[in-house]
Amino acid sequence: MSVVAFERKQDSGEWSEKELKTLVAGLGAAMAPGTGREWETGMTEKGDAQFYLLGPLPDQACELCVSRISGRYILEDGSGRLLFEHRNLDLVALHAKAAVPSTSWLMVRAITLYCAVRNTFHEKFEPLLVEGEELFVQFVPQLAAFA
Amino acid sequence: MKRAKHQDVFTERPPVKAAPDAKQLRKLAGDWLKLRRADAEMSQADLAARLGLKYYTFISQVENGFSRVPTEIMGAWARELGLEQAAFARHLLMYYEPELHRLLFGAENK
Repeated sequence: MSVVAFERKQDSGEWSEKELKTLVAGLGAAMAPGTGREWETGMTEKGDAQFYLLGPLPDQACELCVSRISGRYILEDGSGRLLFEHRNLDLVALHAKAAVPSTSWLMVRAITLYCAVRNTFHEKFEPLLVEGEELFVQFVPQLAAFA
Repeated sequence: MKRAKHQDVFTERPPVKAAPDAKQLRKLAGDWLKLRRADAEMSQADLAARLGLKYYTFISQVENGFSRVPTEIMGAWARELGLEQAAFARHLLMYYEPELHRLLFGAENK
């Protein structure tokens, strides 16, 4: 008779390697180089594991926190607001990913800035260019006549 | 040994070495909060329950120095620890916003 070994779910103590991999993979995009975000782990006084997603320097304040209490994963933001809780860490990591302040906001700002610069260019510099072009068209035949 | 409340609990100061960064200061604030909670003979879960939090994990988050005590529950936090609210807020400001604390209360009058 063969015995199939089931992986026992950890209920307390430090994060297992598998749990950490799940969290780091889930938040990979949020911690991409250039974001300045880092992560750290800690424990509650009862020995329950906590995972902190830290914002960029200089403040490095906690943006998200995932804790494991009696096999249940708790997702909170840096102000203690409960965002999600579930026994499935993959699901919690997915919610954590969605809860991270998105970089698309930065993208929106960059696009707005680009449009503003482009608009200014059209308004201020295009008339000058058009004027220059008109002068050029006017003077070229005369210059050609001199030559 | 239990400290007498409202007496020397606010006299503890952050070390006056090179200016510590925000993270270090939050950790010091967390250590101070942990001591005050121990004085009040409460567990993290007790305090969380009294503050109306579903889980005690946020108390740990703050005491481990990763987050601040939110302004909106600062008064309640002080009350549950049996501390005077204004003195509690002022003391935490010393860690969370040292420059603002200096401007408001002066360097010598911490």
